[in-house]
Amino acid sequence: MSDPFSLTGYVYLRGSSRRTDARLDSAQHDGLAWVRIIATDEEELARSPVSEVQIDAALGRTPRKLTFADGTVFETSDHAGFAQLDGNSRGARLHRLERFGPHLIGFTFACLAGAYLLWRYGLDILAAMAVAMTPAVVVEQIDRGTLQTIDYVMAEPSRLNEAEKDRARVIYERVIAVLPEEERNARDFTLLFRDMPSVGPNAFALPSGTMVMTDDLIRSFANENVIAGILGHEIGHVVEEHGLRRLYRSLGAYILVALLAGDTGPLMEDLLLEGNALLALSYGRKQETSADEFGLTLSHRAGYDPGGLKQLFEELSDMMGDDIQWMSSHPSHENRIKAIDTFIDGLPVR
Amino acid sequence: MSLEQTSSSHQFKFTGNAKEWFGVWIVNLLLSIVTIGIYSAWAKARTKKYFYGNTHVDGRNFDYHATGGQILKGRLIVIAAVVVFQIVVALMPILGIILLIALVIFYPWLLTRAMMFNARLSSFSNVRFNFVGTYWEAFKVFFIYPILCLLTLYTTFPILDRAMKRFSIDNHRLGTAEFGMSAPIGAFYKAAGLALLWIVAVFAIAALTTGLSLTAFGEATMALENDPASAIAVIAAFYFVFFLGFIPAGVIYQALTRNAVYNGTFLQGGHRLRSNVSALQLFWIAVSNLVVVVCTLGLMLPWAQIRTARYLADHTGVELGSSLDEFIGVQQEATSALGDAYADIEGIDVGLPI
Repeated sequence: MSDPFSLTGYVYLRGSSRRTDARLDSAQHDGLAWVRIIATDEEELARSPVSEVQIDAALGRTPRKLTFADGTVFETSDHAGFAQLDGNSRGARLHRLERFGPHLIGFTFACLAGAYLLWRYGLDILAAMAVAMTPAVVVEQIDRGTLQTIDYVMAEPSRLNEAEKDRARVIYERVIAVLPEEERNARDFTLLFRDMPSVGPNAFALPSGTMVMTDDLIRSFANENVIAGILGHEIGHVVEEHGLRRLYRSLGAYILVALLAGDTGPLMEDLLLEGNALLALSYGRKQETSADEFGLTLSHRAGYDPGGLKQLFEELSDMMGDDIQWMSSHPSHENRIKAIDTFIDGLPVR
Repeated sequence: MSLEQTSSSHQFKFTGNAKEWFGVWIVNLLLSIVTIGIYSAWAKARTKKYFYGNTHVDGRNFDYHATGGQILKGRLIVIAAVVVFQIVVALMPILGIILLIALVIFYPWLLTRAMMFNARLSSFSNVRFNFVGTYWEAFKVFFIYPILCLLTLYTTFPILDRAMKRFSIDNHRLGTAEFGMSAPIGAFYKAAGLALLWIVAVFAIAALTTGLSLTAFGEATMALENDPASAIAVIAAFYFVFFLGFIPAGVIYQALTRNAVYNGTFLQGGHRLRSNVSALQLFWIAVSNLVVVVCTLGLMLPWAQIRTARYLADHTGVELGSSLDEFIGVQQEATSALGDAYADIEGIDVGLPI
């Protein structure tokens, strides 16, 4: 940059759209690089050390722009000449990366691999970090808030008698007892009973350890191995923090799609969001399988027959057929039974 | 057919090209993925700068001046708010409803801020745009009009749509020069009528030729378990007719209203905008873009974007009433990127009326 040079282009004065032909002269003076803007009548319009002007980074073949502290703007399409002013800047390096060439093939594969890794692992790591950062008080409040809503919207007090409740409580205590001590202490495990005719035989767990079993469930299954399997499964959801992870993950995926996709156009953005929703369902199914395995191990350790969970799905399958809703966010009964068989074969002999 | 080029009439010119934009786009994407989305703020600034910088009128180009840092700050605040909002909804549904009402009240403010941010950081021929819409105007356009529209069973939708476009255009400035829009309401009704006619025609033809009906669709959904193959065929045919009806109708409406809006838009100084896009060509571009982009796993997206921008520029023009040298910028305060970030995340478009 030591040799003096000139570039032709246009000049704009501060805040004016008036465009006039002008020339930029660059030269060294006292060891500093200076630029001057000269009008066609040789009048000097602006002068400054290069270090004090603002240079917009090169971007494609759009005109190069240089703004003086007083607002005077010089614009030129002489890209090669202008590069002498900022050839070593960060913007120029970025511009070289963006140039069309074989290296972009590598970038393309890196993008595909990166997008896959981000979806497969990155989002999980982010969700796990967010879960770790969520204070325990907040998680407890989620349990309380959700339970209140359920009680208000669709649940009635349980109609079970104490003997029926006690039967479930004994199994519950036995299963909880084999949970590692630190897991037990980290959460507030409680078992509740509700009459919820609209959801049928069902059980669900809230993130802080509140567990709800419906009356239908207790009455439908006399076999305690089934109850143990279900409780183990729900405890798995709690211990593996599935609820919060899923909330954070879907939130993160939605924000990432919104930010990365940018101006994809209306049709394509819909497509991306639909695809994202489908992938979220498959994530939910993975969580169910993982909770199944957790529950099998736990009920097995507590001295129950892990085949109980399998019996549940066999009976559910007979009772409800292949329910489409159940299939979407959960794996099909058939697949769950198969997976349970495989997993039981791998369990250690008690 | 392009717009004619005379001494006072100038066609917009778009000089971006797909090869060059692919390089910028893929680097944007790679850096955004590597930084788990943080770089996307800089990517947005670079994207807008590329498309604005390559759009010329009479040899002068547009420019975009927001920095990635500004955009990132706005986005971080909005993302934090979204996360807190979601947690509150999970925690205390009642408080969630109160927050939702607060957001509704806040919404017009966010939207005017987004338009202000976008306008003040955009320029043409060295003069910055500005946006001067107020909260109450926005409240009227985004709440009162839609409620009226609902109450009149959507028969006043063209009035609502024109009001929204007027709100955006009439409140934009280029320096001190004011924009104004006087497209007749008849043009909006005509566009809506033609779009509706298209939908009715497609469904009538489909019903007459194939006997496809809503009952058939309902039965097919029911029969999904027993006879999946033929049920899926019926459902697919139904969706095909649905898309053939609604998507072209949307394009017809957009193309016709775009022409009406542009041809009715003027800028102080005697300048008038012109547009002559064709619904058929826009539809062809939208559909072929989608097919090509999907078949190439998104890699041809930059090509599709350049193609759309070039078509729109080729069919947009301005009749100059005086010299483009006469615009004068005004001193304006910086605006936070909060509204802009909100619009990004919600996918709301708040672009310039160009």
